[in-house]
Amino acid sequence: MTERSSLLSLSRRRLLITTSVAAAAALVATTGFNPAQAADSPREGGDITFLIDSLGDTWIPNNSAISSFQGHIWGHVTDKLLYVDADGKVTPWLAERWEQNDKATEFTLHLKSGVTFSDGAPLDATAVVANLDIWYAGRKAEGINPIGLFPKTYDRAEAVDASTVKVFFKKPTLGFIPTLGYHGSILISPKSIAQPASEQADLSKTSGSGPYVVESWKEGDHVTLVKRKDYNWGPAAVGHTGPAFLDTITYKLVSEPSLRVASVQSGQADVAYNASPQELKSLKEEGFGISTPRYLGFVNGWAVNTTLAPYDDVKVRQALQAGIDRQEIIDTVYTPDWKLPTSFIQSNVPGATDQSALLAYDPAKAEKLLDEAGWSKGANGLRTKDGKPLEITLHSNPYLATSKSVDELIAQQLGKLGWKVNIRAYDVVTYGEKVKYAGPAVPTYEVTRSFIDAGTVASILTNANNGENWFGLGESDAKLNDLRDKIAGAASLDERNPLLDELQHYILEQGYFVPRTQIVQRIYVQSPTLKGEVYNGVAYASYYTAFIAD
Amino acid sequence: MSNAYLTYAAKRLGQAVVVILLAYVFTFVVVSILPGDPITSVLRNPQNGFSEEEIAEIIAAQGLDKPIAVQLWNSLSGFLTGDLGVSMRSGRPVSTLIAEVLPSTLILASTGLAVAIILAMAVAYGTQFVPKRYGQGLLRGFPSLFLSVPNFVIGLVLIHVFGFQIGLFRVINPDSFWATLFAAIALGIPVSAQIAEVLIANLDREAEQEYAAVARSRGIGRARLFATHLLKPASLPVVTVVALTIGELLGGSLITETVFGRTGIGSLVQRSVSTQDLPVLQAVVSLGAVVFVIVNLIADLLYPLLDPRVKILGGKKRTPTTADEVSINTTKAVAS
Repeated sequence: MTERSSLLSLSRRRLLITTSVAAAAALVATTGFNPAQAADSPREGGDITFLIDSLGDTWIPNNSAISSFQGHIWGHVTDKLLYVDADGKVTPWLAERWEQNDKATEFTLHLKSGVTFSDGAPLDATAVVANLDIWYAGRKAEGINPIGLFPKTYDRAEAVDASTVKVFFKKPTLGFIPTLGYHGSILISPKSIAQPASEQADLSKTSGSGPYVVESWKEGDHVTLVKRKDYNWGPAAVGHTGPAFLDTITYKLVSEPSLRVASVQSGQADVAYNASPQELKSLKEEGFGISTPRYLGFVNGWAVNTTLAPYDDVKVRQALQAGIDRQEIIDTVYTPDWKLPTSFIQSNVPGATDQSALLAYDPAKAEKLLDEAGWSKGANGLRTKDGKPLEITLHSNPYLATSKSVDELIAQQLGKLGWKVNIRAYDVVTYGEKVKYAGPAVPTYEVTRSFIDAGTVASILTNANNGENWFGLGESDAKLNDLRDKIAGAASLDERNPLLDELQHYILEQGYFVPRTQIVQRIYVQSPTLKGEVYNGVAYASYYTAFIAD
Repeated sequence: MSNAYLTYAAKRLGQAVVVILLAYVFTFVVVSILPGDPITSVLRNPQNGFSEEEIAEIIAAQGLDKPIAVQLWNSLSGFLTGDLGVSMRSGRPVSTLIAEVLPSTLILASTGLAVAIILAMAVAYGTQFVPKRYGQGLLRGFPSLFLSVPNFVIGLVLIHVFGFQIGLFRVINPDSFWATLFAAIALGIPVSAQIAEVLIANLDREAEQEYAAVARSRGIGRARLFATHLLKPASLPVVTVVALTIGELLGGSLITETVFGRTGIGSLVQRSVSTQDLPVLQAVVSLGAVVFVIVNLIADLLYPLLDPRVKILGGKKRTPTTADEVSINTTKAVAS
């Protein structure tokens, strides 16, 4: 691309790419760039800049903790009761140990002593109770939302003594313990919780107990964190419990993806968030660190609306399941860092089982199923039944940048089988209004969602207990209802895991859920000298353990 | 100060208040009839896992399900008592949000205005004294050229040349001196066109007046003729045009801030529009209306004081040279 043509095309993105790539290349040439031969022992000190595409909307802790953007800051400013690693393994953090009764309706948490919030308040049993209460209920009239995935079976919590909390549930809630390591379950100082919403929305007025505190912030611009020198209660699972190594972390908003990457390439910043998948291969070759951690959650795929013809026909749904070439999606849209789905939940979730056989690409089988269902192929290659075309409208998910590219590829794949595929790409606001699970004119709803505990999965699929009725089945599928109730009532993992396996098989076999790929929603490109960061169960990078190697 | 002047001032003030109120109500209606609001879109983020029932309950708890007329009344009564409300997106008071970003925009807009005035003066001076064979005609074409190149294009070219090639500023540090100056240049160039156009037209007229010919015949220097004789009478209508360009400066700063990555009113508006954050949008639009109306009010009220020929007459009889007439003339000059 010549500079003249880029000027004429008036595209800012292209201008930036051209010039910044040129700048980076010049820098590489002049400095004789080599990946650092790092001595992997942590070094004290240093400051890093993390370039991020947005800093989200609000800083009210309850409303923002699950955000893909603010979660980065909360992960450094706050701690959790338990730590959940990238494989879903739950280990102690501020709760040193815990017990539950046989029915999983009462839990006792024993807290680490000597932990304080950055405003000086002790992190004791009373503070934990205040947090549990606001996670469950929020303060709705004030605009403080509950934590959406906190168990709705919560009854109450009591501070038995300064370091013991007893939590009661109305029904068995095996998912409670893993939920404490979920990104929504961040511990905030009771003083901060007591503040009205408008003050909670000011990040500098909120105190957590994390290894960093907010030094300064400006909305839509940056957040600078500085380390807390008296921090001494990191999770044992990350192999370090004392103060952090890096002095400061600055999260700086740069909305242009190519500019974020180019800044890291030229050494002006240390981490670029959400690079485009296509750039990763060459960046890796240049020696930059690339991380594509998977979160614990659903795979990226479709919840099929069974109320909408012809998707009320199991054969059509099964044809959809067999008619998608998932390997081609990974080869075309993504890189080998992405993984094939093996179920409708990610394969790193404890309790996920391998259902790959149900997800094999088999166009012949798909065509046969469609023939059987009465959809015959016409001269133009499109299938019809009773004069109606076999049609599907895909609504690209605005929360996943690659969603539309995947839709376009799938449109080709399904087109070969005789499907007429329409693609609609709405902005976030319109999408939220128009595209809903099992909504009218929404044959497939594209899911991108994390969770910590597979036990919560079954209960959201139908409409019982405030469920989300993903497939529009209501209470009509007796087998699904039965599995849901048994999973919800299971009091141990040994009892629950076989049921989860059965659920996964059933959902996929019925074509209720059509997986596309395992999801990577957070992509990190970082300088080769930055080492030691840790990714947790929701794929957030923590720089608590990170350091700059010489 | 005559009674007629006070009546005139009161009338203008009344009109100003009506304009501001209309702007407020108009924004409210336009944003309200669009589907969606920031609170529901946060709740609908799939990561949150709220069901439709829960969303409806939270919306109702905040009174967002009330009829539009009721909501308009609530927000209007707040606005009239000086309470701008709370941002639906961030949950922070709107006044805090605006106070946080206003300085950046004021610096940009005032630097931009200074750039525009200096540039307009330079071009206008050139059109009077650069000989025809050295490109006077070209100079006369500058205002049209400036006006027809959108400021984001100018901004991108400036970033490309001075940010990347020459390296005067770093794009990830947009508040530095050089980055601010180039943003102001991008903003000021289109604005300078309007000022230059009016200034040139008036200089041409004044230069043909007898007093100018007399001054020239007495051997006065070009620069002195320009500065002491021509500029003052020619710049009176310019006052009105400068006031009118305030809108241009505010609107242009939204785009310029986005291009240069500055965090100002522009980026606040951009975030608020994309999430339909009604209270912030209303406050910014009303603030814009207030600034625009006040600046023009000051210009209109100053006019009769600055130029003794402009008289405000009460009653039926009006002279052809009231402030209104002059404004119309200058607008025509801009259009031509």
